[in-house]
Amino acid sequence: MVSDKTLIKLQHCSTQILQDISLEIHKGEIVTLIGSSGAGKSSLLMLLNRLNDPDTGSIHYRGKDVKEFGITQLRKSIGMVFQSSSLFDGTVEDNLCYGPSLFGEWEKGMGERLLDNVQLPRDYLKRNVEDLSGGEKQRVALARTLANKPDVLLLDEVTSALDLKNVELIEAFLLGLIPERVHAIVMVTHDVAQAKRLGNRTVFMDEGKIVETGNTAELFENPQTEKLQYFLKE
Amino acid sequence: MAPEISNLSMFLLIFFVLIPVSLSYIYSLGLSKSIAWSSFRGVVQLFLIGYVLTYLFSLPPLLGISLMLFVMVTVATFHASKKGTGIPYLRPVIFIVIVSVQLLILAMWLGFDMINFQPDQVIPMSGMVIGNSMIAIGLALERMKSEFKEAKGKIVAALALGAKPDQASTILIRKIVKAAMIPNVDGLKTIGLVQLPGMMTGLILGGVEPIEAIRYQIVISLSIFASVSLAAMLVTIIFYRFFFNKNQQMLTLDEK
Repeated sequence: MVSDKTLIKLQHCSTQILQDISLEIHKGEIVTLIGSSGAGKSSLLMLLNRLNDPDTGSIHYRGKDVKEFGITQLRKSIGMVFQSSSLFDGTVEDNLCYGPSLFGEWEKGMGERLLDNVQLPRDYLKRNVEDLSGGEKQRVALARTLANKPDVLLLDEVTSALDLKNVELIEAFLLGLIPERVHAIVMVTHDVAQAKRLGNRTVFMDEGKIVETGNTAELFENPQTEKLQYFLKE
Repeated sequence: MAPEISNLSMFLLIFFVLIPVSLSYIYSLGLSKSIAWSSFRGVVQLFLIGYVLTYLFSLPPLLGISLMLFVMVTVATFHASKKGTGIPYLRPVIFIVIVSVQLLILAMWLGFDMINFQPDQVIPMSGMVIGNSMIAIGLALERMKSEFKEAKGKIVAALALGAKPDQASTILIRKIVKAAMIPNVDGLKTIGLVQLPGMMTGLILGGVEPIEAIRYQIVISLSIFASVSLAAMLVTIIFYRFFFNKNQQMLTLDEK
């Protein structure tokens, strides 16, 4: 039985990397995924918008098996931003209009509004993405995903290569998205302090398994497993 | 008309080959054996093909042409497919693409009375089209594998934004076809200025007036250009699909 609060529910999902993953993502929360590199965090994220499928187990979104949704609609609804910004060659506008154009939803003035959201000047629309700094690129990538008006946002280490100023800016922006514009955020981070700052709930992964999960403050204050204790000390 | 090349003068060419062989020996390039072997192999291959062509030209046109074209397309298929290891259905698809392109070009030549359906005309002309298509397909496959590897992040980002595989691959497809066509486009730009094309040279040495020789050269150059573009485009459009599964997820091809 899926409660109204549950947006995404994974049950016993396994892939070559992941082992028996069960997890619920609820409306209004930011879930942070932490763990060493190779723990399976990004692989888990890619299951949620079907960039990969589990070999066994099931995933439900809004109470329905994800396989019942059209793949492109599902990916529009569960947007994802990647570690490296993966911007397409061309201008900022080319990137921002990419998603909405696929669904015939690109409108005049949308680009300017998206740039306002991520605090970039409007004249950046015509700039070539090659001419942007790392922080600006990542903000454009975020705006590009938001252009699709997703319900859920998946973030894969989006601030890992950025300076403190840009990290603060993006974090403040993300907090402002919940719960009206985006119903839930699932973010992978290698930065424990960031998980503490943003996460309502934190999931600790190791070797493809979920080792511990819980309220972020409690989890960091009172880690139950040796693995998490060791990870937090590192 | 050029004088006939005697066996003695051909034999004397060995001295020319000895120059790079000695250079390789002096500078320890380690290429002496390879140079000698390649030259020897090239000479033997050409002599053999000379005899084979003489035999084929004596056969009824349909039989001679079909036999030689089949051999040419098969060899071209095997050679081009080496660049695409790991891609499924590689050889059958390449074979069909080269055959289709060749038939189309042949139909144009015959339909517009550019050449006669004679082995001595169809075989050399087709060889040039098939050979160049083979190179273009090889380039397209090689580029396709490297582009899909390098631009994986961008393609996955496009899929994550709701693009279908064909939409996500559009940018790459353009790049791949362009890369496969560039050698030919560049060749066309300087044609006749830097070096006289092989076919034209052959005709002029054979005693044909230059103005007549260029007509043939134009036919073959433009035919090659068309076939190369078509072959590269077809293999790219057919093979990009194998980089995705039915759930619109990107696959990593296994090198076999």
